[in-house]
Amino acid sequence: MLKENYFSKLKELPESLKQLGGLVLITIIIILSFAILNDIFGEGDELVKKMKLEEERIAKEKKLSELISKLPSGILVTFDGTDNHRLTDELYEQVCNATKLIPQRAIMGANFLNYRAHEIYTINGNKIDETFVKWDKEKNKCLAGFTVSGNNVGVDETITVSGEALSFLSTGIDTRVYFIKNF
Amino acid sequence: MEFFKKYPKTFQWLFLLIIFFALCFAIDVPETYKFIRGQAEFVKDPNQSSYVFLGKEVRYYAFDVFWRLPPLLGWLPIWINDSLFFLMNEWMPIEVWNEDTQEFKSRPIILQISRNLTAFMTFLIELIREILLGGLETIVAFTSWDWIDKNPWAELPGLPWTIVAAGAALLSYKLSGKGLALFAGLTMVYISVFGQWKPSMQTLSFILVAAPLSFIFGLGLGIAAFKSKRVEKALYPILLVMQTMPQYAVLVPALVLFGVGDHAAVIITMVVAIPPMILLTLLGLRAVPPEVIEAGRMSGCNNFQLMFKVLIPTARRDILIGVNQVIMVCFSMAVISAFIGAKGLGFNLLLALNQLNIGLALEAGLCISLIAILLDKMSLAWANKQTDYFGNLTFYQRNKNLLFFAATAIIGIILAYVGTFLFKDTFNYLFEVPHNKGISTADFWNKGVDWIFDTFFIYIKAFNTWLIQDVLQPMRALYLRMPAVATIVLIVGAGYLIGGLRSALVVCALTLFIAFSPWWDRALVTAYMATFGVVVSCIIGFTVGTLCFQNKHSANFMLSVCDIFQTFPSFVYLIPVMMLFGITDTSVLIAVIVYATIPATRYTIEGLRSVPTGLHDAATMSGVNKFQRLTKIEFPLAFPHMMLGINQTIVFALFMVIIGAFIGTEDLGQYILKALSDKKGAGIGLTLGICVAFIALIFDNLIRAYVQKRKKHLGID
Repeated sequence: MLKENYFSKLKELPESLKQLGGLVLITIIIILSFAILNDIFGEGDELVKKMKLEEERIAKEKKLSELISKLPSGILVTFDGTDNHRLTDELYEQVCNATKLIPQRAIMGANFLNYRAHEIYTINGNKIDETFVKWDKEKNKCLAGFTVSGNNVGVDETITVSGEALSFLSTGIDTRVYFIKNF
Repeated sequence: MEFFKKYPKTFQWLFLLIIFFALCFAIDVPETYKFIRGQAEFVKDPNQSSYVFLGKEVRYYAFDVFWRLPPLLGWLPIWINDSLFFLMNEWMPIEVWNEDTQEFKSRPIILQISRNLTAFMTFLIELIREILLGGLETIVAFTSWDWIDKNPWAELPGLPWTIVAAGAALLSYKLSGKGLALFAGLTMVYISVFGQWKPSMQTLSFILVAAPLSFIFGLGLGIAAFKSKRVEKALYPILLVMQTMPQYAVLVPALVLFGVGDHAAVIITMVVAIPPMILLTLLGLRAVPPEVIEAGRMSGCNNFQLMFKVLIPTARRDILIGVNQVIMVCFSMAVISAFIGAKGLGFNLLLALNQLNIGLALEAGLCISLIAILLDKMSLAWANKQTDYFGNLTFYQRNKNLLFFAATAIIGIILAYVGTFLFKDTFNYLFEVPHNKGISTADFWNKGVDWIFDTFFIYIKAFNTWLIQDVLQPMRALYLRMPAVATIVLIVGAGYLIGGLRSALVVCALTLFIAFSPWWDRALVTAYMATFGVVVSCIIGFTVGTLCFQNKHSANFMLSVCDIFQTFPSFVYLIPVMMLFGITDTSVLIAVIVYATIPATRYTIEGLRSVPTGLHDAATMSGVNKFQRLTKIEFPLAFPHMMLGINQTIVFALFMVIIGAFIGTEDLGQYILKALSDKKGAGIGLTLGICVAFIALIFDNLIRAYVQKRKKHLGID
């Protein structure tokens, strides 16, 4: 009975008031739905932390790509050469950090001095598991290397070949390891 | 309270706006928010959030949900891609006989259907192309290359341009009279003399396949929808989305299903051209008076006879207007489908635009526009032509045009033959003027562009800088500054106030689809560009329309100008703006404004014309002056009609904004363009297309609801 009275009173309200009520209700429903979604998907402070890390990563990459674009195209060496551009110690570290690629030329060169790695590399159809270029803070050197794995005469083997990256190739867009000294 | 009682609607809108702005100010821009790497990038980086749905991993940059919703529909494009891949490569393999290897081969059924369909389309296109231009592919299709080697005479010779020109002029004369015949003749001569014959015939062959097939399918589906409510209900949402979806977006899935080339272009053109045909067939059949149907039934017609002997002939005009629409859509697709390898004028136009050779682009664009205008006028004349069923004509009177055509064909063949002697050492210009061997005005136009740049560079640059820095960038920033929750409250609230709960729910669903897709930011940029275009277009359109309406002749003139402009394929609009403003956002926006002003002007004139003349007289007798009559009577009564013009203006503006991606905007169109060159772009392209269609449908829903309400209020429903 009470309910019926309530509804009949609501029905008697002017149309414009009912519409305003509807609008208020819709607004509340939308905001509440967002609040619920925020509860489920919102990541709060963790998100800000994550995004800041991301910002740093992007800033670092931007700086490195700026450095690469300023480098002369061609071979960059860490030692006294005749024709090639010699890197300063500071630049050597920066180029090392900016370099991600080890082309096949450098891999084949390093493989010459590691017969077993060369064999697995050939058997595997020149497949490389992973490559790495990193700055060794203790030795102040740029280390580059790669891992090859496969079955050589019935034996499963994984060999990591690494050495000092002595020269790089600058293409103007990126830098690549040009020579790995693994002897 | 007094204000609320007096102006309840204004109060409700004020309330909505206050809530919207309160939310905008209450929610800060997140520290980490950057538009460029927004939510739409599919790059992997360790700090992205991710979720897995239906086995698909979605990565995204998470923000506070009040600011930007997470892309909960991010799996959709990936799922569409995977489904298409599965359908094309794995689903239901069947054994197919391979003629070359003479053995059975396993192939998925969809791939086989798609291959057969493309082979059929290629055959049709080649057949028509070789009738117009000559060649031997069609003969080879029925024989073999070995047979052709032995019988080198067996080649379709192609029609001399003189015969096609005469045929077009004669057909135009039969349909409309001397004026159109002259226009047709001049158009064909222009195309030939300017060395655009081959690409024009390539485009025409593509349209001559796409248009009839679209007509047959559109008519069939229109009849089916007329006969069955279920079919109509099933078709309705597809038609709605297809009408507002940018044609670009449909290209991407077509690439996956049908590959690259003319055949894919024909199929995709059909997909775009069929919806208007269905709608106009349905409209025409529904408009048939019940008395006519009754008369048909009383004459003893069965269902088939009633449909094809009574209903379709009665609805002939609307159906033929549908044919006109189909042809127009085919022309607009002629350029767009060049992106997926359709040959012809569209391809040349695109190539010229890519090379920034405005002169060449202008020549190709002019040819497309001329052919489009000609076919538009011809099809409209056909639609309006009355058949004289009772004329007692002699054989000559009945067939004189055919006889004239036969005579001109013989003359054309003789001329082409004479041409082989006249132009012995060069090209036979009486048969075909080769591409790039005709007269060219490209250099003149290119020099003109250089002159414009040299002379007005400072002013153009100053205008560009002012528009971009002081108008566009702040506007874009404002749109991007809107938190998702505020935008949704505003849109849904507007839907509720204009069209009630149903309308609010519809716009809410459409907006949520975009908000949950990974491209909300891009959608906001699209909306900002379209809004700018629509506002300026409406101001120009309403002013020009109102001024032209004051005089009967100027109104008629303006309507014919609108007709002509509407027949131009949308890409053509980019040529003059690129001439003036180069590759900038200003170019896109000016093209948007020009293109979208057409419906705004047209609907203003037609809206003002729809006001009953009786009311004019009544107003004049009541002593109102011209201005009072315009503002107090004509505008309020014409407003619902003008609002439909705004609706069209929005759709036109959105289409042009998306096409503007070609110049280099950063809205949804840019992503559609990127998807075109992406191997896995089908899902992205389709989802983006749906997003654009939904933006248009949101406005469409709001405007239609408002118009209906207003018409009811004014008693003109």
